[in-house]
Amino acid sequence: METLRSALDFSDFPRLDISVAGIIAIFLLVFPLFPHSAFAMATMIQFLMFSIYGMGWNTIGGYGGQVDLGKAQYVGIGAYTTAVLLIRWDIPFWFSMPLGVCFAMAWSFIIGYPLFRLKGHYFAIATIATSLVLMDLFSVWEFVGAARGLEISPIKYHYPDFLRLLFKKDIYYYYVILSFFFAGILYVNGFRKSRLGFQLRSIRDNEDMASSLGINVHWAKIKTYAIATAFVSVVGSFHACYIKNIEPQDTMGLDLSILIALMAMLGGAGSLWGPIIGAAVLIPLKSYLKAWLGAAAGLAGIDLVIYAVIIMLISALEPRGIWGIVEKVRRRRRR
Amino acid sequence: MALLEVLNLTKNFGGLSANQDISFTVQNGELLGVIGPNGAGKTTLFNCISGFHPVSSGKIIFNGEDITSLKAHETARRGLSRTFQIYAASGDLTVKENVMVGCFMRSSSRGKAKTRAEAILKDFNLTDIGDAFVGELPVAAQKRVTMATALGSGPKLLLLDEVAAGLTPNEIEEIMANIRYIHFELGITVMLIEHVMELVMKVSDRVMVLDYGRKIAEGAPVMVAKNPDVIKAYLGERFVQEHKEILT
Repeated sequence: METLRSALDFSDFPRLDISVAGIIAIFLLVFPLFPHSAFAMATMIQFLMFSIYGMGWNTIGGYGGQVDLGKAQYVGIGAYTTAVLLIRWDIPFWFSMPLGVCFAMAWSFIIGYPLFRLKGHYFAIATIATSLVLMDLFSVWEFVGAARGLEISPIKYHYPDFLRLLFKKDIYYYYVILSFFFAGILYVNGFRKSRLGFQLRSIRDNEDMASSLGINVHWAKIKTYAIATAFVSVVGSFHACYIKNIEPQDTMGLDLSILIALMAMLGGAGSLWGPIIGAAVLIPLKSYLKAWLGAAAGLAGIDLVIYAVIIMLISALEPRGIWGIVEKVRRRRRR
Repeated sequence: MALLEVLNLTKNFGGLSANQDISFTVQNGELLGVIGPNGAGKTTLFNCISGFHPVSSGKIIFNGEDITSLKAHETARRGLSRTFQIYAASGDLTVKENVMVGCFMRSSSRGKAKTRAEAILKDFNLTDIGDAFVGELPVAAQKRVTMATALGSGPKLLLLDEVAAGLTPNEIEEIMANIRYIHFELGITVMLIEHVMELVMKVSDRVMVLDYGRKIAEGAPVMVAKNPDVIKAYLGERFVQEHKEILT
């Protein structure tokens, strides 16, 4: 009961935040009812998906300060679980998604247990490595389609199929991912105020201090890593049904991992709104660049250049991202 | 019954012996001061007892249980809490949140942790700055927050590592009041590393002196201060000259 109340309680935010968040929430709810292009719809769905990726990353990366650059491997596990189960045994999304979460969390324990012996940059590098290894394994594993990937054949099913989460119109996908989005916000809101949330913030600041207060640092990190994984894996499963065509490179690639971390860091790691702000900035930018560069194929890769510039700017100017700037201004005003 | 019993504790860092064959006990309800020159192994001793360093040899018994091989978070859960010399408290958390982290050790309920943290802040006279970020506070306040945080975890034995270093006389008075509150009002056993002699001599029941990793003296504050070995190794003749009034 207390957990639920804590998740629904936003009273420690300034009234301005709550009003802005409310307006945005209403906008998100009514957005599809107004005329919109297919491009805008696709961008909005991408925005919501990446917001949830970012929220997951934010639990371990933001509150816990453990920079994880391998989140894509769990997107892949979720996506592949759903796709394989649907194609081979016709198991619908609502069963395969939780199963994907279980697989992803199990894998996160296997990865997390040794990796959290490492600290700082070494941890970040190790997460990249494990993610790339898994991607390479999936690229040669015949059972999951190897490098060709898997395709959910569109002609086999009657649309709209709510159980299998297969739709022709994006509006259905939009509302499904929007409900995940709201659930994610509530979860993180409860998490940041929970015992584990406090423990992680203490760990981020000082691990010795944290363990002197009875916190099992290693275990707290592993647990939170699994939570972050669950977020990412759910969206991975959604991705499989939404895109209907998954390849190792798309779902487990390094650029996806980096984009997830980058978004949370740009918006503000360790804050509730940060990952959402980051996604709201980067996803339209990414979609626009893609549409624009579609014509000029020679410029492919410029998005990576832009990411690199953003990373440099964040680390040089404000490590706490856009939300960090907002909080700084506020604190100055209070004085 | 002795709350803490340390038997022949030795800690080597490579060829350097930071603690050599140290044995002592801390009785329930006692306040034991630990003094000695820089590099005598005082903080290493704390690190060994609280489980941050594995010991090279020897035994540590806390509350009747052998805790020699336990890790820091395990000793903390058994009621052995400590503060650190270098960093005060988590700079990115507010004062209240810091204390709440401590309180969360005994209870997973946010409501309970918050209530308890607020009570501790009130006892420490920190309520006014409860919402300030610890990193923005002056050193003296940070040190008091550290003590409040450690207290939040509900310790049986509190190890305080140089909580008064670098403070003004007024601030030392405040810290001393906090230590007395912890020790007398709450009845918590305390071990205290300190260079500020006025504080150690006034609050300690007993004082132990370390030098080059060895225990060179132990006993009542006045007796230790008169001990020629201690004067030679640490206090110096001038201290004895200047502090005749506390020594008699």
